Amino acid sequence: MHDREVTAIIGPSGCGKTTFIRTLNRMVEMSSGLRIEGSVRYREQEIYGARIDPVQVRRRIGMVFQRPVVFPQSIYENVAFGLRLDRAPPEEVDAAVVRSLQRAALWEEVRGILKRPAFELSGGQQQRLCIARALAVDPRVLLMDEPTASLDPAGTQRIEDLLFELKREYAVVIVTHNMQQAARVADRTAFFFGGRLVEVDDTKRLFEAPRDPLTEQYITGRFG
Amino acid sequence: MDQPVLRGEGSVGAAGHADPVAAPTPASIAPARRTPWWAWALSPIALLPLIFIVLIALVLLFSGDLKLLFEPGFWSFNFYFNPLAPSQAVWAFPLYLVGTALTAGIALALATALSLALAISTTVYLPAWLGRSLGTLTNLLAGIPSVVYGIWGYVVLAPYFGLTLQPALRSYLGWIPFFGGPLSETASGTGVLLASLILTIMVVPLTTAIIRDSLVSVPHPLLEASFALGATRWETTRRVRLRVARSGVRGAVFLGFGRAIGESVAVAMVIGGQTQIPPSIYSGTSTVSAFLLYQQDSAFIYPALLHALVEFAVVLLLITLVFNYLAQRASGERGAVGPTSAAGI
Amino acid sequence: MATDTMTSRAAPEDLGHRSPRLARRMFMDRLLRWLLPLSFLLVLLPLFDLLYYVGVRALPTFTVATVTTNPVGFGGGLLAPIVGTLVLISVATGFAALVGIAAGMYTAEFAPRPIARTARLAGNLLAGIPAIVVGYFGYFLFVLATGNFSTLAGAITLGIFMVPYVYRVCDLALARVPHEQREAALAMGARRGQYLLRIALPIAFPSILTGIFLAMAIGLGETAPLVLTAGWSNTPVTNLLGPTSYLTGIVYQNYQFPTTLGNLVTLAFQAALLLVVIVLALNIVVQFIAERYRKRLRGLF
Repeated sequence: MHDREVTAIIGPSGCGKTTFIRTLNRMVEMSSGLRIEGSVRYREQEIYGARIDPVQVRRRIGMVFQRPVVFPQSIYENVAFGLRLDRAPPEEVDAAVVRSLQRAALWEEVRGILKRPAFELSGGQQQRLCIARALAVDPRVLLMDEPTASLDPAGTQRIEDLLFELKREYAVVIVTHNMQQAARVADRTAFFFGGRLVEVDDTKRLFEAPRDPLTEQYITGRFG
Repeated sequence: MDQPVLRGEGSVGAAGHADPVAAPTPASIAPARRTPWWAWALSPIALLPLIFIVLIALVLLFSGDLKLLFEPGFWSFNFYFNPLAPSQAVWAFPLYLVGTALTAGIALALATALSLALAISTTVYLPAWLGRSLGTLTNLLAGIPSVVYGIWGYVVLAPYFGLTLQPALRSYLGWIPFFGGPLSETASGTGVLLASLILTIMVVPLTTAIIRDSLVSVPHPLLEASFALGATRWETTRRVRLRVARSGVRGAVFLGFGRAIGESVAVAMVIGGQTQIPPSIYSGTSTVSAFLLYQQDSAFIYPALLHALVEFAVVLLLITLVFNYLAQRASGERGAVGPTSAAGI
Repeated sequence: MATDTMTSRAAPEDLGHRSPRLARRMFMDRLLRWLLPLSFLLVLLPLFDLLYYVGVRALPTFTVATVTTNPVGFGGGLLAPIVGTLVLISVATGFAALVGIAAGMYTAEFAPRPIARTARLAGNLLAGIPAIVVGYFGYFLFVLATGNFSTLAGAITLGIFMVPYVYRVCDLALARVPHEQREAALAMGARRGQYLLRIALPIAFPSILTGIFLAMAIGLGETAPLVLTAGWSNTPVTNLLGPTSYLTGIVYQNYQFPTTLGNLVTLAFQAALLLVVIVLALNIVVQFIAERYRKRLRGLF
């Protein structure tokens, strides 16, 4: 996965997309009943390395979930959550909150209501708030697990627009079950099936000339 | 810039990977249905507990002398009782209220801190099997009869407190208000400190069980979101878990306080029984519940005392009902807060 | 990355890099990971100390005579209190089970929503009423009314104190019977009463049993309601309308005497030991059934 690119992960449900993306910032360790092997490297450094704490990984590699998960706090405090952990000075927190909300294309909508509880926002706004919250700690990589799964078309559209902005500065990995979405937003696409990576290629090439017959069957809609 | 930032190989075997979004199945609530007339007519059966509460309140209200509650003597701080002239007695109810508030307050402060530590250990830090076994052992504390705590406190702990612990505390911490005072106060071992500590142990299983339940029921996605932002386990606990579970913790504190106020036997056995505002934490004093218990045999002799005690009981009933109601309010209709919580049910 | 406005805060590319602040945060987490579980010592130490000393004081002189003779003067045994406690707890449990199960069944299955809400609240409030207050209530209602202290007065007073435990567990157990069971039964044309007796009660039975055991454990350990109602008698109770002794009473009456005076204090510890053993056994059975029941319910889904 490359910097300043959107990589999409597609595949039928239950194929391990979510589990895969959760390995990328060691969120898998939260669930029980898992066996973890193999390696994941970030700029040639092993993120499962003995010296590396998951906390360090997750600072660098942010994540947004299927459903928007807002903390029961104000909009401002939601975005500031990660910065508060670092005891960042107030003016720095202020600046970062504004900047993150701007990048998540939410600033214009919430600038007057920063102190309101976050759950008063609409679903799409909440999801963008979650993106802003993830951006506030200045990650290099942003993992998105079906970020539009619970949104209406308008909300989905806004998130997709946002992805084009975000990839200017971040490496973005997005899991989606929607092939059109992958085709629209991703530079590269990976196809997973049965817990394995079947094929990964430039999005265009993957959709137009898949090398693996399984991929072809899937994208032409014969199963899944 | 073509250098990959994130690259990987290998496999993750998912064995029974639970859906992180799935909420635990709530206790099923009977679906909406038409209510036949007889269901209303026979509802006193369901309301038997309420009927008992009303009955207890009414019996106590009519057995004593309610006027006492409005006499200044009842609310005075100067206790006076002469067996030869019992009608001139001054019962000094506030003295006992002070003792009650003091012992229950100290006990709850300690119990809350301890319970938070225990509950966070089991839900956040310890492996599940260890947390469960230690939790079961803690629950056993709830089963020990209060009278057994009392005799253990009086026969085993009080001599140790009087001869060793309290003199030591007094000489090292004497500069803190209420930790000093005359040496003679420390000698008996019984008093505010011992009573509060025993109350703490008695209340801890209940408060821990309720706090643990409320910590466990914090939705998983919230915790994951916090971890995904790079928060440590402790930060997630402090900033998300405890924040979301706040009302459960509050419910536990109210319930524990109600329980501590009402405990009569164990407290009566270790608090000394002096009718005074304790000058130090080593001093003896009394509580409303304890006074009700150890004056009952005299009350059978002096009707005036019995009348006063009934009013003590009325006020005590009122206070405990208020705290228990607050506990229920804090934790919802079918909330974790209940008499059987300490047994894990 | 040259245009990155966040360069001031941008983390170095070394993944393992730890700022002092990050190091402190991680240290705090690890510290608490070891520190917080130590709190179990603060709880378990008193528990084991109590069990140890009760054992040490009670066991050396615990003989067959301890449980076969009656208390006399400055000594004697525990026969009458044991019999008294058994009689008291039997009658009280019968009363509490009857009331608690009836009310619990009605609350869970038939009561209209607002009634059920009120009833559950009342059940929890009743459990919060201090035992000593219930004791005074029993004294005025039963003792003053009948003119004497009696086993029955003690048992009923104790029973009222035990009701909320049975009630709550019964209500919860019935409410936790899976929806599908209920729907399947009603879909087959069963009336609600039939569903309750044939389907729900058998499923909930082990759980209700834990409620009864729990109530027994609570009742066995109570002193305050009995002090004001049951009177005292050093011979085994033969008449429910006569007074009786009980194990908690022995502890409460004897604990303050000098240890040199007969075997009063030892007898108190022996009564305490019996109480602890019985109550802990009941609690362990409760935990055991509750665990089994949880597994069984899980199998039903």
